[in-house]
Formats: sequence, structure tokens, C-alpha cells
Amino acid sequence: MMEVCGSSNVTLREFGCEQSLLSRPDGSASFIQGDTSVMAGVYGPAEVKVSKEIYDRATLEVLIQPKVGLPSVRERSQEQCVRETCEASLLLSLHPRSSLTLILQVLHDDGSLLSCFLNAACMALMDAGLPMSCLFCGVTCAIDADGQIITDPTAAQEKQSRALMTFAIDSTEHRVMMSSTKGSFSVYELQQCIAVSQKASEKIFQFYRDSVRRRYSKTL
Amino acid sequence: MFSTLKEKVGEVLLPGDEFSFDTDDTISLTEHVKPEKVVCGPGLRRSGDRLVVCKSGVLRHKQPNLFWIESQQRRYVPAKGETIIGIVTIKSGDVFKVDFGGSEQASLSYLAFEGATKRNRPNVQVGDLVFAQFAIANKDMEPELVCIDSSGRANGMGVFGGGGLLFKVSLGLVRRLLTPHSEIRSDLDQLFPCELVVGMNGRVWVKSSSIQQSLIITNLLQSSDTMTASQRQQLFQRVKQGPL
Amino acid sequence: MKDTPLCNCERDFLLKAIEEKKRLDGRQTYDYRKIKITFGTDYGCCFVDLGKTRVMAQVSCELVAPKDNRPNEGIMFFNVELSPMASPAFEQGRQSELSVKLNRQLERCLRNSKCIDTESLCVVSGEKVWQIRVDVHMLNHDGNLMDAVSIAAITALCHFRRPDVGIQGDEVTVYSPEERDPIPLSIYHMPISVSFSFFQEGTYLLVDPCEREERVMDGLLMIAMNKHREICSIQSSGGIMLLKEQVMRCSKIASVKVSEITELINKALENDKKARKAGGRCGFAESMPQERITALKKDKTAVEMTDVSERANEIVQKAEALPQTVPSPVVPVPGVGQVGQGPQNTWGLDEEEDEEDSDEEQEEQVTKMEEEHSENKEESRGGEVVEISDSEEEEVVILHPEKPDRTPKNTGSTSHQKVAASSKKRTKK
Repeated sequence: MMEVCGSSNVTLREFGCEQSLLSRPDGSASFIQGDTSVMAGVYGPAEVKVSKEIYDRATLEVLIQPKVGLPSVRERSQEQCVRETCEASLLLSLHPRSSLTLILQVLHDDGSLLSCFLNAACMALMDAGLPMSCLFCGVTCAIDADGQIITDPTAAQEKQSRALMTFAIDSTEHRVMMSSTKGSFSVYELQQCIAVSQKASEKIFQFYRDSVRRRYSKTL
Repeated sequence: MFSTLKEKVGEVLLPGDEFSFDTDDTISLTEHVKPEKVVCGPGLRRSGDRLVVCKSGVLRHKQPNLFWIESQQRRYVPAKGETIIGIVTIKSGDVFKVDFGGSEQASLSYLAFEGATKRNRPNVQVGDLVFAQFAIANKDMEPELVCIDSSGRANGMGVFGGGGLLFKVSLGLVRRLLTPHSEIRSDLDQLFPCELVVGMNGRVWVKSSSIQQSLIITNLLQSSDTMTASQRQQLFQRVKQGPL
Repeated sequence: MKDTPLCNCERDFLLKAIEEKKRLDGRQTYDYRKIKITFGTDYGCCFVDLGKTRVMAQVSCELVAPKDNRPNEGIMFFNVELSPMASPAFEQGRQSELSVKLNRQLERCLRNSKCIDTESLCVVSGEKVWQIRVDVHMLNHDGNLMDAVSIAAITALCHFRRPDVGIQGDEVTVYSPEERDPIPLSIYHMPISVSFSFFQEGTYLLVDPCEREERVMDGLLMIAMNKHREICSIQSSGGIMLLKEQVMRCSKIASVKVSEITELINKALENDKKARKAGGRCGFAESMPQERITALKKDKTAVEMTDVSERANEIVQKAEALPQTVPSPVVPVPGVGQVGQGPQNTWGLDEEEDEEDSDEEQEEQVTKMEEEHSENKEESRGGEVVEISDSEEEEVVILHPEKPDRTPKNTGSTSHQKVAASSKKRTKK
């Protein structure tokens, strides 16, 4: 069994966000976690292709653009993780027969990429003013060879880890909306990682609030 | 509920923030208790016995019981009765298709103009601008525009746009421009005489005596979205005194 | 998704403004918008902001076999990606006319101008050469993508470092950046594209058109040039007739612009080099404008760990209260397995149940697979079904048909007697 992890590993790297930085999309944001950075753009509710039209809700499309080359299977699976999380938090039934497109561009990958995707997506959706039932954030935890939990790992830490887990956590009740895991771990370790992620999510949600507050500070 | 909402007026709220009906345990028998009624505007939704915020922005309040979230959105979602600036894209049979920046194109009947009859068709070309209001705006139906009010008068609506410039601003700025005693508008008044058409869909059309002046107004309005009132006034002052 | 249509009054206004030598953003005819060049954390990653237009270029390399006709030259590969983020009109994974045009122009500008020494990219002649790949992503489209793309691509190439290689006999070793310092590409000159747009049949000319100006223009002339005033490529599109003097004038303007931009690129590269040498942090995170109202940054924060392990413990303990034993599989009918306590499987069971009710002595039958559903089931013994729990007996399920052609699955007819006996035992319990 694993003992209480050392506090030195359980930190979030410095993170930052900029909203509405692009002029064309309806909502955009870039999110930075340490050196990992992702840019997100949202279009919608916009016209939908007849083949993709859903009569009672909006069609959400998530596209992930890798830095080098064309999107592959890895990007497709990440797209699915992000899409399912967004679908759970967006109130898609308010805009039936329309399309929402979320494009995520990798700017630099230095670990915890999926959680950075999720955070950038949430900020961009919020910037676009789309109706959401709650916010979400992503937290990645790695378990290293000694069984220690590392939150928000870098690429090097990810490589050395025994297991890697990413959770999407909602803002109202801090429940897990999506999880994506790699490697082997015990049930106890899983629960511990979830608990750590829930704690870390509080910090991120506070950051969301601060940045939105800063943004509206001139119109208060 | 009413009091908790009122406390938060002017604060920044995020999606997922909740207000619950805090029903008092003790109901006074002697006093007449008025049922609390709250009218939710954009960004607020009722979900069961709670009021949930679904957009990020500042909570605003209007007497007696109106609450809404003011946000800086860019994409327009149609609402009945709102006036917008649309671009005619297709002329087909007896309806025009109008792009207004929403999720689908709105239809505008050729009879929905002042004085229009089957014989006397309005002169509308593809690419023209129309100032129109929504007669039908519903998430499940195709939006429909009209260029007449309920009494059949144009009331300022119809085809317009010769010699002016159309540009886009955020929906928040449009609403600030259209408030009854808008500060931005009065600041602008002191600058140049100009003709301004403001659509709720974030499109603004401006025409002034010269192209230079129209361009200045365009750039001023586009930049005043992220300025405080004093910053804006300073900028306007500078433009006024400038060598233009 | 469609782009917003352009209305007539916008077109008229723009053309009138151009006649009066006025531009939407207050620029003069020959002015460029503000150019900002920033670098990513990696080598070979570059962001270019040209007004509101924004592109990102990333250079990467790979060891590949060379082309047959050029055994000792490295390969240059360019990919311009029109990401739908840049404009709603761009679609993913579709080669549009614009993307082909941009790709081709970039290739002509950088590959055909021989600005990069491809021979130095050869590792083993005829066997291994470096392939340098340049990916350019559009992030925001506000006109004049080509100039932004060319600046981003050449800056990224200048910034890029490829890993060092060592050759010993037949073995090629690629050294990691920790072992040996990576090597920059050898670049002879830096071609930069400058775009000119023409209006009213070439009467008016603008440098660096923005998106709305591009929509009303009649023709476009792109000149790629280096700072030595050598034209690397020239491309005119839109089908306007240009006079010799106009082209000459454009090339003169281009030479001024190119030298300005080259200086800017060199300065940016210099700054980045200094920052890297000083060991300071560089990259996208550092280039985020802190003063903007829409941006916020938070320093490294610790996550509170109190009661985390207690909570995990608690949850795990609660979870362990649930039964964890895996029940042994149950085979109600051949070909159907069941594990756990799900709803009762009814595949092909209904008839057997009446059977059992009516006559306990009867053996179970599977009538589902039979062609003829005869009423008299006693006669048509399609087969027996055996349920085997964790007893020692052999776990086989056998169908014993009357006519062998009906059930081809019949395999173990010899053990039929034994199983039939055991099934009798079961049905009686």
C-alpha cells in the first residue's frame, strides 16, 4: 500500500489563461500549464450540415490539431474524451439543429496534455457564452515507480510513471465526469488520485473565477 | 432567494453557481406574505427548486424583479421582437433569406415591408442590408423577420445602407449602446454628427459626412469594448482635439 | 460552416475609401500591420502575429531514405494547415484551393529558391538523409496569410536545431541534445513574401491587405524576395493585367519591406538566443501578454493534501463492502453464457420452461434451433442442455440431434449418455 505522498510532488505547475485572443472565433482561449500550452477556438451555435443535424440538440464537434503532421488515432481518442466531457456540461438542448465546433491546437506538449485540453476547452466555451450547467476542469495525476502521486506531471515525469490518469471534474459537486487512465494501479491508488484531483480542481476553479472577474472588472 | 440574488447584483458569476429558494420555516400568520417572483433573463435558468447560472458574466437587476447575466458574447441567438441588421443572401420566390449571424438564415417575406402588396414589391437586392425585427424566433423553428411593426408602419425598418460602413462589435457593447441613456452614445454625440444603426446581433452601421470620420467612429467603437468610462472619455477627447 | 457574406454597402465603402487612400485600420497604402514574432519552448517553433492574423510554424526532422534522383540531398517538406480555428470557412482535412495555393507558394518561396543547403542534410549518401518538415498552422485569419506563413516558416527554419549524428562504419548514431549540442540548418538567404492587392483593375494598390480588403480586391501579386534584392518567386493571381511599371514598382516596395522584416526576424532570433543563454524561461508561456484584461496567470501552487488519503481509504473501504466474488459462468443454453446476477437470460428458454412445468421428468430441449416447431415436443428431441456448476464433471455442452444434418455442432456424441444422465439429475433438483 502506498503511503501519504510527499507534498513536494503534489503541486500544480504555474498556469495561465488568456481569453478572446483570436478575432474570428466566437470564443477563444489559450491555456498554459508549465510549458504545456493549448489554444482553443469555438464557433457556434452556427449552421449545421444536414448530415450531422440532430433534431433536439446541438451537434458538438471537437477537433484536435497536433503540432506536427495530421491528426491520428491518439488525437481522435483525446477528441472523444473532450467531447464527452463538454457534452455533459453544455446545455445542448437549448440550441437544437445547430453546430458547435471546438478546435484545440497543441502549442507545446510538456505533459498533462489532456488536462490542458480540457481546461482550454472550458475557458473557450465560457468565452463563447454557451449555456453550461457547470464548469469542468482537467487534472492529470501520475504514479511514479515508488508509488508517489505527482499531479500535473511534466513529459519527463509522465515517461517515468507507472500509471497516468486524467480526470475531468465538474465545478458544482466536484464529481468525476471523465477519466482516462494508462498503466496499472490499485483501487486504493485510483481513489487517492481522484481525491487529489478533486482538491486540485478547487484551485483551478478559483483561477477560472479570478480570471473571469478580472475580465469583467471594467464593466462592474 | 430574492435577497440572496440581490446581494450578488453586480458580481461576476460563473456557470454552475446556484441560488436555492430559502423558504422560511416560520410563516407569519398575521402578515400577508407576498409570493416571491423572480423573472430570469439571459444566463439564468430554473432547474427544479434552484436557480442556476449558465453563462459567465455580471449579474444585473432591474426593478422590480428582473435578473439577468450580462456577458461579452459574440455569437447572436435570436429573440422575438429584437431588431437586427441582416444581409440579404438569397431571393427565392416570395421570401428573402437573410443572414443575421445566427445559427440559420432567417426568412423575410416580401409582403413584410411597409406599403408592399403583391403588385408593389419592395426593391431588395442580394447583398442589401435590412433593418428588421424578429416576428418568430424560437429555437425549434426557422426565424422569421419583418420590416413593419404591429400597425403596419416601417418605423425605421427596411432596406438601408448606402454609403455607410458595417462592422461587428460584441453583443455586450451593442446593448450598452442601446440603453436609454447610453454614455457611449452621448460621448459619441459630442464628437461628430453621424448616422448610426445598431442591430442587436452585434452589427453596427455608421455613416458620417466623410469616410475618414466613419472610419474613426468604427475604430473608436470597436476599441471601447474593453475600456472603462474614463478611459473612453479621454480617448474621445483626444480624437476631438486631434488634427483631424 | 459558411463565412459571413459581404454586403454591397461594405464593398462600396471599402472601394471608396481606397480611392481616398484611407484604410480600415488607419494605415497608409504601403504600411504593414504590426508584426510580432515569438518563439515556443522547442527549437523550431515560431508564432507570427500580423495584426490580427496569427500563424504558428513548427519544424521537425526525421531520418529517411533520399529520393533516387538526388541521393545526397536532404528533403524539405512543407505543410500549410488551414485549421478551422482560423476561419469558419476552413474545413478540416479538405484540400481547398487556398491551401493548395499557399502550399505551392511556400514551396516555391523556400524550396525552389534553394535558400537551405540540402546537401548538408545528407548523412549517408543514397541511404540516409534528413527530412525537414515544416508545419504551418493558421490560428486566426484576418487577411494576408501568405506573408505571415512565409515569415513564420523561414523564422522557424532559422530557429531550428537538428540533432547531431555520428557515423562509425555503417552505424549511424543520433545524439540527444544532452549528449551533443544540436546543429542549426545552414541557410543561405531568407526569402520573404510580400503581397500586393490591386483594386479597380489595377488602379489602386495596397500592401498587406486585411481580410475585408482581400474580399473586394481584383487581383493579388505576391513577390518573394530576400534582403539582397533577389526575387525568389513571383506570382500574380486574380487575372488582372499588370503593366511592367507596376511590377517594377511593386518589386521596389517589396525590397524595402523585406529588408525591414529581415531585420525584425534577426532581432527576434537574437533576443531569443540571449534569453536561452541566460537560462531564463522562454516560450509561449512567457510571451503571454500579462497586462491584458483577458489574461491571468497563477504561480505554481501546492494542492492541499490533508485528508486526501483518509478519504481515499474511506471510499475504498466502503467499496470493499460490496461482494467481490465472481460467480461461475452459467450456460443456460448452448452458445449463451451468463455471469453474475443479471436479468434472467431468456434466449431459447421459454419453451423449455413450459416443458419443465408440465413434466418434470422430461429432459430439456432446445427447440429454437429447429426448423419445425412441432407441437409434440416429446418426439422432437432436438438436444439436451446441460448446466454445469463448479462440479468436477467435464464442462461440455452437447447437442444430440435425431437427424445429424440438423445440428452441425454435434461433436461429442460419445459422451452423450453421461451428460444426459447428469442433466437428468439437474432437472430433478
